[in-house]
Amino acid sequence: MNVVYINPFVATSISILQEVLGGAEVKRGDLGLKPTAVPIMGVAALVGLAGDVEGRVLFDMTIDTALKIASVMNGEDLPEFDDLAKATISELANLITAQVVTKLHELGFHFDLTPPALFVGQKMEVAALDGENVEALIVPLLTEYGKVEINFSIRERV
Amino acid sequence: MKTKQDFPSINERPPEGLKEDGTCFRVLVIDDSMFVAKQLGQILTSEGYEVVATAVDGKDGVEKYKELCPNVDLVTMDITMPKMDGITALEQIMAFDKNAKVVMVSALGKEELVKKSLMLGAKSYIVKPLDRKKVLERIAKVLN
Repeated sequence: MNVVYINPFVATSISILQEVLGGAEVKRGDLGLKPTAVPIMGVAALVGLAGDVEGRVLFDMTIDTALKIASVMNGEDLPEFDDLAKATISELANLITAQVVTKLHELGFHFDLTPPALFVGQKMEVAALDGENVEALIVPLLTEYGKVEINFSIRERV
Repeated sequence: MKTKQDFPSINERPPEGLKEDGTCFRVLVIDDSMFVAKQLGQILTSEGYEVVATAVDGKDGVEKYKELCPNVDLVTMDITMPKMDGITALEQIMAFDKNAKVVMVSALGKEELVKKSLMLGAKSYIVKPLDRKKVLERIAKVLN
């Protein structure tokens, strides 16, 4: 995990989340490092990265938080975590990751992102069993709707 | 998504989506996200535009454009999509119809992508998250 990536990731995540939530307060919790196997809180949006760096960005939250955030983003109360709600959370992941890609591009790191994938389930785990331990940077973002944990697992291609 | 400042004006003005003859400008929305298609659709219809179709990826977008042409006045094009991305789709649509009016609407804001799209013939490039006022301004400008 190159320290150069950290600030753009964190700053962009906070600002985009704040913007889509209509200016609601978003506080950053303590950053941490975890081995990539991560238990999922209920809803996980995953965006792949490829290019000068490779890896993935995972947005993790409870289904309750996901539903609330999706409701705010749609400007209406969504009754259940249906296709529209899923598309909304996927788009949130896309918005944040794409702006991170843009910012890091300006710093000289050239890479691209894949369309997002959304996972919903209880007691899931995401593991990247690629030999060496690729560490994941965890950025918890605290909102009035609950916590969104952003999990960056990237490494440079040699 | 709420806009920060977008109040109705005191003076009556016709919706930008209406042409002088009273018919609507027809828009083809190309985006793999149901949420974005809905959001864009709401912004457009609130100003009188008509969303004639939505495509879920670049390939679907090109096919729909070919089917609907010349009954499409504007295309909104996402970039990051499965199967065929927006830049490739833009190329194909421009090759099919050099007068096509395509506006890129993407979360990616890389300068090289903006330049590439404009060079390939896109009329404008809007970076998401969407701001209702900005989207409407840009689209109106393209359709002048």
